[in-house]
Amino acid sequence: MRFRLPELPEEAFDPEPPPILGSWRNVYITALAWLAFLILLFYGFTRYFS
Amino acid sequence: MNPVDWVVMVVAMVAIPSFGLWRGRRNRRNINDYLLASKTMPWYAMGLSIMATQASAITFIATTGQAYVDGMRFVQFYFGLPIAMVILAATAVPIFHRAGVYTAYEYLERRFDAKTRALTSIVFLVSRGMAAGIAIYAPAIVMSSIFGWQDRVTTLIIGLVCVVYTTTGGIPAVTWTDVLQMSVILSGLLVALVTVVSLMPHNVSFTDAVYLAGAVGKLNVVDLKLDWNNRYNLWSGLFGGTFLFLGYFGCDQSQVQRFLTGKSVAQSRLSLLFNAMAKVPMQFFILFVGAMVFVFYLFNQPPLLFQKNAMKELAKQPGYTQIQERFDSAFAKREHAAQSLNAARKAGDTPGLTAAVSDYRAAQHDTDAARAAGIRLYQKTEGQSGFSDTNYIFLSFVTKYFPVGFVGLVIAVIFGAAMSSSSGELNSLAAVCVMDIYRRHFRPNASDHHYLKASRVFTALWGTWAVAFAQYARHLGSLVEAVNQVGSFFYPVMLGTFTLGFFFKGVRGGAAFWALLIGEATIVACALFTKVAFLWYNVIGAVVVVIFGVLISKLAPYARER
Repeated sequence: MRFRLPELPEEAFDPEPPPILGSWRNVYITALAWLAFLILLFYGFTRYFS
Repeated sequence: MNPVDWVVMVVAMVAIPSFGLWRGRRNRRNINDYLLASKTMPWYAMGLSIMATQASAITFIATTGQAYVDGMRFVQFYFGLPIAMVILAATAVPIFHRAGVYTAYEYLERRFDAKTRALTSIVFLVSRGMAAGIAIYAPAIVMSSIFGWQDRVTTLIIGLVCVVYTTTGGIPAVTWTDVLQMSVILSGLLVALVTVVSLMPHNVSFTDAVYLAGAVGKLNVVDLKLDWNNRYNLWSGLFGGTFLFLGYFGCDQSQVQRFLTGKSVAQSRLSLLFNAMAKVPMQFFILFVGAMVFVFYLFNQPPLLFQKNAMKELAKQPGYTQIQERFDSAFAKREHAAQSLNAARKAGDTPGLTAAVSDYRAAQHDTDAARAAGIRLYQKTEGQSGFSDTNYIFLSFVTKYFPVGFVGLVIAVIFGAAMSSSSGELNSLAAVCVMDIYRRHFRPNASDHHYLKASRVFTALWGTWAVAFAQYARHLGSLVEAVNQVGSFFYPVMLGTFTLGFFFKGVRGGAAFWALLIGEATIVACALFTKVAFLWYNVIGAVVVVIFGVLISKLAPYARER
């Protein structure tokens, strides 16, 4: 029983690209980078004000 | 409440749903319109609606109070949300869109079998059905204590407005109402922050206030220590939170239905990614308002207990006077220590600053101890071991110190949040009843018009149930808390089942069904026999379902059959 992603490639049923950043992969990376930035910011905030 | 506040509140309560009905007026001709808005929704409307559905009234009341009492560490609970949003945008959104389903559980029948669909639908109906009542009841009980309003009348009014626009307009009205409600909620929060900062003493600037909150640990946003029994730290938020939000946004029809209304896969994805970017800062902001309320009360004496009725009862008890005197004295010392700290910091007096911080923290400790003694005395005399007045802190502050008009705005925000989460629940409950139960098992070949009528009837019935549940919720006592935790018990197994469906093509219905039951039993065992914090249930439950789904498929031949 192997872990498999959905069989069709994404482009087969969703040709529409995101309105910004060129590809969905870039949008996802941006969202995760934003989370990493927020955690670092909050960590700095916690350290500075405690 | 001042007449101006009443006007603001009533206008908001009438105007916002009216806007939703007007904006969605073209989309209520058939069942596709009513349940999916004919897939015409833009990303920003879905995104705001998803946020509004998740943020209940109690989120705003309790979260600010939590920051006052416990600091801002609760924000870590949301760290898993952006990760979950990215995973769902990449997987669940295209799969559900391609499947062309009305409900998430409809997909499970296509992938597994009818009994898995029926089981997950029933689990959803039971858990969300009760939650819909609690969403209305929770703010009403707080209002009843603060304003003396009858909670039955409050629940009836909130419920009635909510049922009218949800039944009439379906998901288009719910979504557009949520858009405006979310805008009012965000504006209300901004007004709350500006107001609380402007109410500080003249010699306390915004930066001073932030420093004073941080010095006693109220700005403890990130905790890196891995502790399995600690509910909120970076790791439980990132791992447990990711699984929790995957379950909530990917398997709960009240959320799935939002992104099924998208014009395209791209629009639905953007709505989730908008949430990924906006949710954590929004929760930070709400908690920050609570931390500023704490600073405000450094210079204005707070009551020993924020719940008025509890305070009245406490004042009658022997031993109260000593506790109140102790609290008054601790408050005076803390105020003095806070002023000294502020002065030392402005003067750049480093040795003086160290001593002032130490005094300030000791005074805070004494104030907390006096308040805890008051709470213990109340618990002992009233026999309420779980008593907490956290939910009353923010509204108590608002009603006492906010200018005329702003109080009405904040109450409108609270009501708006209650209605937006409840309306989303009612609409999704009706969708599951009609599509997964009624059409599937009772009337499979009726006309579109028949299902539209049935959806309206089910929405009204669930609305009536929610209001009735809210009317009697006060008699349910600790059951209310249990209902609030129901989601944490069921989302993980739903998530495990959908994961099997999406990614493990060899797993069939029988295996998924039994794995779901084993996963649920594991979670119940964790709750009964371990002290593992509840966020970890989401990881454990989902992983157990996936492992057993795969194992049963390999070991039991019948489970491989469709």
